[in-house]
Amino acid sequence: MIWALVLIPIVVGFGLFAFPRRAEGAAKWTAVLAAGVTLALTFAAGNAPDETGSWLQRPFVATFHVGLGSGISYWLVLLTALATACALIGMQVPRQRSFAAQMLLLQGTMTGLFVARDLLLFALFWDLMLIPVFLVMIGRSASPTSAWKYLIYNVSGGLALLLATAAYGIVAGTTDVLASTTPPVLAATAAPWIFAGFALAFAVKTPIWPLHTWMPETYADLPSPMAATVAAIQSKAGLYGFIVVGLGVFGDRMHAVAPLFIVLGAIGLVYGALVALIEDDIKLVIAYSSLSHLGLIVIAVFSFDPVALGGAVVYIVAHGLFTAALFIVAGQLEAREETRLLSRLGGLGARNPRLAGAFTIAALAALGLPGLCGFAGELLIITGLLRTGAVWPTIVALIAIVLAAAYFLRAFQVAMQGPERRDVPQRPDMGFVEGLALAPLVVAIVLLGIDPAPVMGSTKPLATFAQVSPPIQRVGEVRR
Amino acid sequence: MMVAPLVIPFGRPDWVAVAPLFVVGLAALVVVLADLFLPRLIRRGAAIVVGVAGLAVAGVLAIGGWSHPFSAFGGGFVVGGFTVVFEEIVLVAAIFSLLMSYRLGREDQTGGAVALMLWSTCGALLMAGAASLMTVFLGLELLSLSLYCLCGLAPRATARESALKYLILSSTASGVMLYGMALLFGATGSVAFAALANPVASSALLDIGAGLFLIGIAFKLSLVPFHVWAPDVYEGAPLPVTAFMSVVTKAGTLAVFARFAYAALPSAAGHALLAPIWLLAAISMIVGNVGALAQTDMKRLLAYSGIAQVGYIVAAMAGTTTYGLRYAIFYLGAYTFMNLGAFAVVALLSREHEEGSRLQAFAGLGHRSPVLAAAMTFFLLALAGLPPTAGFTGKVLILASAVGAGYTWLAGLLVVGTAISIYVYMKIVRTMYARTTGAPLVRAATPANALPWIGVGVCVLATLVLGFYPLAPSDVLPLVR
Repeated sequence: MIWALVLIPIVVGFGLFAFPRRAEGAAKWTAVLAAGVTLALTFAAGNAPDETGSWLQRPFVATFHVGLGSGISYWLVLLTALATACALIGMQVPRQRSFAAQMLLLQGTMTGLFVARDLLLFALFWDLMLIPVFLVMIGRSASPTSAWKYLIYNVSGGLALLLATAAYGIVAGTTDVLASTTPPVLAATAAPWIFAGFALAFAVKTPIWPLHTWMPETYADLPSPMAATVAAIQSKAGLYGFIVVGLGVFGDRMHAVAPLFIVLGAIGLVYGALVALIEDDIKLVIAYSSLSHLGLIVIAVFSFDPVALGGAVVYIVAHGLFTAALFIVAGQLEAREETRLLSRLGGLGARNPRLAGAFTIAALAALGLPGLCGFAGELLIITGLLRTGAVWPTIVALIAIVLAAAYFLRAFQVAMQGPERRDVPQRPDMGFVEGLALAPLVVAIVLLGIDPAPVMGSTKPLATFAQVSPPIQRVGEVRR
Repeated sequence: MMVAPLVIPFGRPDWVAVAPLFVVGLAALVVVLADLFLPRLIRRGAAIVVGVAGLAVAGVLAIGGWSHPFSAFGGGFVVGGFTVVFEEIVLVAAIFSLLMSYRLGREDQTGGAVALMLWSTCGALLMAGAASLMTVFLGLELLSLSLYCLCGLAPRATARESALKYLILSSTASGVMLYGMALLFGATGSVAFAALANPVASSALLDIGAGLFLIGIAFKLSLVPFHVWAPDVYEGAPLPVTAFMSVVTKAGTLAVFARFAYAALPSAAGHALLAPIWLLAAISMIVGNVGALAQTDMKRLLAYSGIAQVGYIVAAMAGTTTYGLRYAIFYLGAYTFMNLGAFAVVALLSREHEEGSRLQAFAGLGHRSPVLAAAMTFFLLALAGLPPTAGFTGKVLILASAVGAGYTWLAGLLVVGTAISIYVYMKIVRTMYARTTGAPLVRAATPANALPWIGVGVCVLATLVLGFYPLAPSDVLPLVR
């Protein structure tokens, strides 16, 4: 059942290549159907038992163990299916057949990452989910630079993760630890190095300042539907790793490096907001706002406060929802006006009111309007941070939240209001299908804003992760 | 007066042990003879069919050695799990190379070339089971002599360069190795690996002998700094021969190296003697991948990539742990499939008068021939160690064995080398899929020879399946009885 969530998109994705090249509509709606089916199946699989199978016996035990166990996985799998389905419905790209196939492959591999309960399986999907993105970038982007940056950064992180996983397996004897409540405690000599490998991979992926330089170009160069799923979900892989692998397996190490990551998170928070304030490309505005928001989540994760952690998970899901919506709207904007530059846009609200409305809702959720999902997450995080007595990170976070209002309102004002530009082409307003692409996201944004409790409640196991007992020294044995 | 009966000191089990060699050798003879009598039209086909059949029969016969370990010819040739695995790898690689060989040489040359390739395979099979210095040398020379001829087969100047370079450099290395063998014999009074483990004479003689022997091995494995011959030789040789060399030579030599390192070198002194080899492996992983960065010819690129890949395999054996040997063999098996798969794709791109080995031949392949491009992408992912392939699982196992043996620095350098290699392999992927403005988007003309499609299919399947069911052989020790 859980493997089906991973395999359905992958199998259908490969199957799409068998469609005739001209059957673009059929390919698109088949892909939407596949994403929708996985979405429905995920709802049904909420309490499905874990599934496992043997992979390696020596030199350490590795399994094909998947589960939706801790709530964060469940919500992220739901988010993956939802965002993919919406992005597919709204896509306006050439050669839709192969693009839809790559979207499904990306969905399947990201789902695999979130359900993996074995570190080696986690590492497998970690590398695997880079490949569809890279293939889309080299096939569709004029300049290969951003594709190389994306791949080299992320594969380097992935290799560090792989080495750390192999070392963990050798020292602990098994990598099937993510579902365990009492993971093996590593010897104090090995643990810092192994954790460093994981942390590097997570930091590159999130991305955490100063390892973020691949991100803006990637988001700007990717076609909008894929930028939506990469920004909404793939960037959460790093945070997911910090929460599930970091807090779950390396609790004491996480505490040791917390000050560093809180400072880096705070820098990213402010830096991202400031760049978003002056950036002219609307996709880059969203990209840097992402850097800022992710910095906030990093601070929340490393505060180890149960409320802040709950808020972090709510905000991870919320950020996924509104970022996907923002990129989909940006894509529709770009398809209409043939530019992404704010300085070339203006007065769209009068001509395309529905488009402006969709942008408004997504932007308001992103800047934390009460009642929408962004606010719920931010409030919980701030409350949690104050509970731990961390005053200055709270102040930094508040500054960034104010700046978020500034840059999103600026983008809205420049693009949608003001005098109409005569030099941009006249285009019809958002159609039914484009609206259909955004409607589920908007509903989810509102629902999560009104009642974040289910997502928040899913973090109860995390609260126990955060209270880490002192490590027991144990020297691992190599299984020969 | 009684005439003493003629005693042949070897019995039936001895001959059974080397039966695969004989079958392959006989198949080569049949190929040569058939070439004389058959009509021109079917000569090439007959050579391939007989060759593949002989190799397949040998493969079936070789399996028998798994359950009946035996030390044949007074310890010269040992049969057991280790030997069987290497024999099978050599035979599979030879079959895939033959599938690409339909147009190897002129019409009247193909039969002879196939026969030479089969004899060369015999040499590698001998190396797989060689447990004495004499057998090692015999196997090595049988392997190499046939290859000298094969390298010069193509009608172009680089082919002569290739053959001559290989002949001179490889002979020099053989000489160095032979001198090392002589010193080893002087130190121990025996040519058997088992005897080397218990030397009687001074250890200085043994050390120098083993050192020279290992230099010879490093040359044949093309470990840095003994690698400079490989790109030139690979480039000049005909494509099937390059494919053959890239796996068979390495597999045979790795078998000798593994047996020597694990069985012949006494553990304490052996550690010191082998330490430079692990260092060479580390340098090879970096230099091989850096060297591959700038290549625009697939054969040269795969030569450099092969230098790095052998570095990975040798790194798995660092510290001579049992599990390290197991995973080295696993990775060698995985490498056989992914590397020969890539060569098979190049063979399918080849036309009558032009090998498809220029990187430019791949431009727009993703649009011209999507299935072939997808297969090539898969092989390149495997070579780069990315999932979902045997290359990924193999690399995890190598990392684990290096870390487990205490060679964490080697694992770290492996990761650095792999990071560099990502660019090398993905550059080809980009060439295949990038939208180049001027590239004509026409369907590919039918390849000169469709047989490599079999190789592509089998290699894709094997590379995928081995990634999820890593059949690392458990029964590879003892190496010498």
